[in-house]
Formats: sequence, C-alpha cells, structure tokens
Amino acid sequence: MSATAPQQLCDGGTYDEIETWSPQKLRDWQFELAREVVADAAESNKFYAERWRQAGVDATALSDWNDFKKLPLVSKPDLVAAGDAWTTRRGRVAFSTRGTSGEPLVVWLDGEESQTYFVPTMRGYWWAGFRSGETALMQSPAWHRLAAMEGHSVLKMGGRAAYYWGSGNPQYADYFVEAMRRVRPQFVTTTAPFLVSLLRRLGDDGVDARELFSSVHSMISVGLPLTPPLREHLSEGFGAEVFERSGTQEGAAADECSAHTAPHIHADVCHLEVLDPLGEPVAPGERGRLVVTKLFAAGDPVVRYDTGDIAELFEDPCACGRELPRLKIYGRPESSVMIGGRAVTAYDVRMCVDADPELVGRMVLLVRDTDAGPGVLSVAIEGDAHNADELEKRLGEDLGVEKVAFYWLGNARMAWGFRQVIDISEVQR
Amino acid sequence: MTALESAAGGTAVMDHLISFEVPGGELRFGEGDLDVWAEHLVWCYSLLGVAEGSTIAVQDFGTSPLAYLGSDLLMPSLERGVAERMGARIICLDASPERIVLTPEVVRQVKPDVMIVRADVLGLLLEGSKRSGVNLATIGGMTIVAACGIDAPPLPPGPWQRLLHVESSLLLAPQCTLCGSYHLREGVYRAHDGHIINLLHPDAALCEAPGLRVTGETCSLGPNDTLVELASRGGGRPA
Ligand SMILES: [Zn+2]
Repeated sequence: MSATAPQQLCDGGTYDEIETWSPQKLRDWQFELAREVVADAAESNKFYAERWRQAGVDATALSDWNDFKKLPLVSKPDLVAAGDAWTTRRGRVAFSTRGTSGEPLVVWLDGEESQTYFVPTMRGYWWAGFRSGETALMQSPAWHRLAAMEGHSVLKMGGRAAYYWGSGNPQYADYFVEAMRRVRPQFVTTTAPFLVSLLRRLGDDGVDARELFSSVHSMISVGLPLTPPLREHLSEGFGAEVFERSGTQEGAAADECSAHTAPHIHADVCHLEVLDPLGEPVAPGERGRLVVTKLFAAGDPVVRYDTGDIAELFEDPCACGRELPRLKIYGRPESSVMIGGRAVTAYDVRMCVDADPELVGRMVLLVRDTDAGPGVLSVAIEGDAHNADELEKRLGEDLGVEKVAFYWLGNARMAWGFRQVIDISEVQR
Repeated sequence: MTALESAAGGTAVMDHLISFEVPGGELRFGEGDLDVWAEHLVWCYSLLGVAEGSTIAVQDFGTSPLAYLGSDLLMPSLERGVAERMGARIICLDASPERIVLTPEVVRQVKPDVMIVRADVLGLLLEGSKRSGVNLATIGGMTIVAACGIDAPPLPPGPWQRLLHVESSLLLAPQCTLCGSYHLREGVYRAHDGHIINLLHPDAALCEAPGLRVTGETCSLGPNDTLVELASRGGGRPA
C-alpha cells in the first residue's frame, strides 16, 4: 500500500494517529486507498472488471472522488450471481450474511484481510477501555467475520480471551453466568438482545447483576443498534459502561467512543457512503442506504456495495474531539414497515418505547399486518400493558403514526434474537 | 487425586491465553496448545475419509473445537488450523436456529465436500432443507458427519458418518470408514472402566461412557488405537 498507515499512539484514550487527522487529510488519504483498491479490482477481479467495463468507467485511473462516484453500485444478488467470478482470491474461511432479505451472501476471509482488521478492532477495544493484562469474555469467534478478529486483537493487546458456550440465544444465559463467575473478566463482548434478556433473567432469578458483573468495567454490544435510553439502562443495570460496535460481514466497521454519540467509522479499512434512492449522498440528518467500500486490496474486493441497511452519517465533530465520521445503522428495509410513505424501523419504535423508564429494555417487535389500515403501526411489546396512551402519543408525534395497534405479549417468552419484525399470525397464535 | 484423575494427566494449571467455557467445564490453552488439537482433528477427518483440499462446512457453535480449530484466522495462538493443515476451506455455519435456516442456500452456493453437523441440530437442518427443496442427504457427493455426544439421541435415518464429540472432555473420536468402530487415538485417549480419559489436556473432564465396549480388534488405519463401540443410542454402526 503506498498511502502511509497511521502511527500507533496508545496515548490516553487515543489509539492511533488517524483519530487526530483533519477531515480533509482523512478524505485525501482514503482516496489514495480507494484508488489502489479499485485499480487492483479492475486488474484482478473478473466480476468488477466486467461490471466497470459495461458501465464504461476507466477504473484503473480514478483522479478524484467524483470519478469514484461514477463506479456503479453493486448489490447482494449481483455478488451471489457472480459466484467464483467475484471470489477469486480463495480465502480460507467463509461466513454467511444473515440473509433476512433473500439469499445469504457467502463472504470469504483470507490471512491478509484478517490482519488488516486487527488495528481497527484494537482501536475499538482501546476506546472501550480494554488494556493489557485484562480478560475479555466474548462470544464465539466463528459467528461473524468481525468476531473472528476480536480474539486476535485481544491477545495482541496483551490480554486473554475467554469464550462462553453457545450462541447469543437467551437459552445459553446459564452458561454465560457460569462463565462470568469462573472467569471474572474485566471486559465483555456480546449481542444487545442477549444483554437485554440476560438482565431481565437475572432480575427474575433474584441474581444481583451488578454483583455478578463487579469485575467488568466495559462491555461491547453488537448486533442491534442501541437507543440511548437502552444503553443507559444496560450500563446502569450491569454497572459497566456499554459501547456499541457495529459493522457488516462485507467490511464496514465502526466503534463507539466514550461520548456515545454513534459509532466512529474505522476509516482506515472502509469508506462508507449513505445514499438516497437515486444513488446521491443524502443531506446531513437524513437517512439512506449504506454503501460499503473496503479500503485494502486483500480478500475479495467490495467496492460501492449497497448493503440495503438503513443508516445515517454524522460528520459534525464528536464531543470526544475525534473527527472520524460516525455512522448509525438502524436496520434493514425488511426490519421496517412503511407508515405514511416513510420507512419506520424497529429502532425508531424502540426509541419511543425506551423513552419510558418503565418500558426500557422490553423486547419490541414490529408486526407486519397487511389488514391494518394505512398509517396504522402494529407493534408487539413484551410484558403487560403500560402507559399505552402516552406511548401512542409519542409514536404519533415522533413518527407520524396515526394509530397504533398494540400487542402486549405478557409473559410470552419469545427469543428476541436479531428479528425485528414478525408476522401478525405469530402474535395471534 | 483419584486414580482416574491421575491417569488423566493430573491437574496442572497452565499459564493460559485462551479459555473456552463448555457445558460441564472450562478448557484453557496456552501458546501452541491449540495446534495439538488442530492436528488431532485433521487426523479424525482423515479417518472419516475427508480429502486434502476439501471445502468443509461446520454447523456447530463457534465455541466448539470443530469450529474454532478450523483456521488460524478464527483463533489467536493457533499456528495452523484445519484449513492450513489440509489446504481446506472452512465455512462457519453456527448451530443457532436462525443460522440453520440459511444453510441449504449456503450449501447450494458453495457446494461443500463435507459437512460436519452437531447431532442435536441435524433434525432441524433436515427439516429446513426439505422446506427449501434441498435434499442434503443426496446433494452432489457431499459427505455429512454427525458430531454426536455419548448420550446423543438416535439420529434421523440417513447416510451419516459419525464423530464422537464431548466438549468438556475434548473428546474427538471418529467412526472409522474402514473398520466401523470408533478410534480412540493412541497417546491421546484411553478407555478405562467405563470412562474415556483425555491423556493430553489437564482441564479435560473424564468422560463417562457407560455403554463403552472395547472391541479388542485392530484396524490398519490406526494399529495402536483402542477401538470401541458404544451401546448407547447415538453410537451405532453407520446405517
Ligand atoms: Zn467520539
């Protein structure tokens, strides 16, 4: 790579030099990386070479970001259909994307690409307070590409990695509790739905969550975007600061700083755009589709890949002083419902639910009900009915919802997992 | 220390870098320790007939050795995993229900040579496959290996091969494609009084195997291995 990599600093809360760069310096540096990546893909990747040839773009000689924006977007069906023409580097390990929308995409990882992600992972762990000599209790290394790099990063930082049994499903809570008691970690990484159900479960069992987590100073939560009240609720409940980590199997990676304003993008490994339906960047404060470009020529290239995720970019300076842009991924189109011509995500509804201290931390699912009229939001909420009128008012004011059909789930135990939308037939069962 | 514990290599505590919390215990690993087990898993695969260069799909939790020994990319301190030792490619599928539903489509895209499936979820996987119109049992030459515990319930009928797998004991014993018995590899495990003892890992729990029968026979694929059969439900001969 000809662009010079940022120096490691490990000074106070700052992990490396990239955090101190101005937005202009960062953009210029990223462009050099993007140009190299695109030239490499044009040369070595059959799928991209053909795609760009068809679009009439000379990808071997981009001169600025405007040239870059001429590269056509690619989608999951494109890459699935391309098969071997896209996965030319023959990585050793594959992960599949969740595939909630149609076919899953199988993404391969090779050694060079894996190494590339160690620095951003260590940076995120550093921001969250992980230090040499500590033990991180984490979920399985094989469930997500980004998780595979976490154990490596923990050991590189001079720590120990402990893994708890099972998946992020609440049915494995007992194993997690056993692991907490045995390992006494200083740091925990797991999924948001798991933390939510664990906190409730400990309460039900009369276990003091803060006591159980007394060795832990920080936790990283992955898998679902946290609303600010939910993050507070978890931090308060466990007595440890919770940081959101987000990313995609296709290469996006971001971690929250201690200002908790939204995860900062690891701009050394990915260039992230948020675009409107016409493929133009959305205005500040607007949401759009997340488009990912990996900024290194290792593994299979990902250039202007439209993930379908609904996301928002924040480019104003963060309270922490870092000028690395921030990104919040709210969900996927299929984890949202259309109300009055607007995609309402499960996150939006959780924002309104979590604003009530009595409701924060309850599982919330959007209900897909084709018989509900236009402007009607159907939502299932765990537990008994509580302050429904006030909640309906908030949903009306914040989301433009005319009417809400509530389905209070009582004690019905549903695995929250990563699902955010269920069908009406599942609620009525 | 009981005689069995002493036979199991004592209770030495390592200066570990990595630990796995597993049902019924904890397994700790120091620098280089994981490589011993990656080599052993490759040996298991060779007895199951898995060829060098295979594409291996693993439908098990990421905290199972079948998954984490798959590659050095997955595990720090592992110098060479199965992928690096066999020139293989590993597909991580996980064993949670929301991942299992994706498997038929992943299999259709990637066409693995071998699929290692946690026996508990084999039924769920077959059901999901049937729904999506993919018959895993007959997909183009793919071998399916069911990773069964000692007390595994009977497997659904099908041409499955078997790998005996008990997490807390770090027991990995393949059912040999040649002799049909499970091989307890020489120098790694020992059968003793209804138990299987892991001779190499000090954290490994003694594995109770009430239906264990040492056949007393030998197999050319491991002339000094102890060949065993299990009377329990999961451990019959291949269908
Ligand atoms: Zn910040």
